[in-house]
Amino acid sequence: MRNKIIFISFLLASMTAHADWQQPELSHNLTPVKNVISASDFELPDMDEEKVKLSKYRGKVVLLNFWATWCPPCIREMPSMERLHQQVDAEEFKVLAVNQMEDADQVFAFTGQLDVDPTFEILFDTTSEVSQAYAVRGLPTTYLIDKKGNIRYRAVGGREFNHPGVIEIINQLIEE
Amino acid sequence: MLYKTFLVITLFLMSISGHAKEVSIHENKASGLLTWTAKEEGFSIELIQLLPDFIRAIYAKHNFPKEEVERAASYCMFGTILKNTSNQQLSYRVAEWRYRTNDGNGKIGKELPVKTKTQWLDEWRKKGIMFSWTLLPDVGEFSVGDWQQGFTTIKLPRDSTFDLIYKWSLDGVEHTGTLENLKCPPASLDGIE
Repeated sequence: MRNKIIFISFLLASMTAHADWQQPELSHNLTPVKNVISASDFELPDMDEEKVKLSKYRGKVVLLNFWATWCPPCIREMPSMERLHQQVDAEEFKVLAVNQMEDADQVFAFTGQLDVDPTFEILFDTTSEVSQAYAVRGLPTTYLIDKKGNIRYRAVGGREFNHPGVIEIINQLIEE
Repeated sequence: MLYKTFLVITLFLMSISGHAKEVSIHENKASGLLTWTAKEEGFSIELIQLLPDFIRAIYAKHNFPKEEVERAASYCMFGTILKNTSNQQLSYRVAEWRYRTNDGNGKIGKELPVKTKTQWLDEWRKKGIMFSWTLLPDVGEFSVGDWQQGFTTIKLPRDSTFDLIYKWSLDGVEHTGTLENLKCPPASLDGIE
């Protein structure tokens, strides 16, 4: 664990030397999915190694985000995801952040260095099987899933998730 | 009339020459590393020099064998950010991109294909490496507001100068641009003058 913290610290220091790597502004545009498809169900472990199934949240709107600790735009959008998670009624809405090919120690060491500690659910896709099922080509990629379990919106690249435009879309899906 | 004909020919030649429309070069004051940004029609591409030690840190973290870490670090690596700045559907295929050496004095090498993520993954799978991230995706299908990033890898010696010829499509219409005189990242920050 200590080695991982040292390594994450080194990585973050290296990324600071490549500070430009983190510069792009985050937009808030979500793309409606033309041919609405059912979101594939999956079961992944959370930070406590408890298995979580996507279908457990049927009846809620779900923001499904694919990310990794080494991915600068993932890091940039994370605080906005946390604010979104705080702003929208938890009875109606769920944020699931699916980490790619890392483990709980790495993510714990990483989140410990963030200004905002994420309280939304983080899951571990250690083989990237789930991201492949969702045809994720790059990180971050995010899907918005409606209460019936259908993928309705998609975003490739970082976003400002607590933007009023995004919250309006989520509220519309909640009201359907 | 003659002037108008000249103008039309000039604009036509500019459009087919494929030179980037608006290019800016930024030097990171702390590190001295360079970033090139080209703003094209409906598309922008940004290339950021990455040090070999940064590459080593990334792949060592993912338990790559030492020789594979060093092999990746031996490439000229650039953090690459692609954005759809249009109101149309954008696509790109790295397999269509090329690079050529350019010494800045008119000596230009032959065009070579940019190594794709698929080619890297094929090599990694043969070594038992299942990690599949960090590299720029081979193919991008961007809706309005979408963008993507990842590493672009160029097999050239340290401090080489080269041009990158890239393509993208907007609603199926293909465009070509060239970023000229890109410099491979130095071996270390000590290597920056």
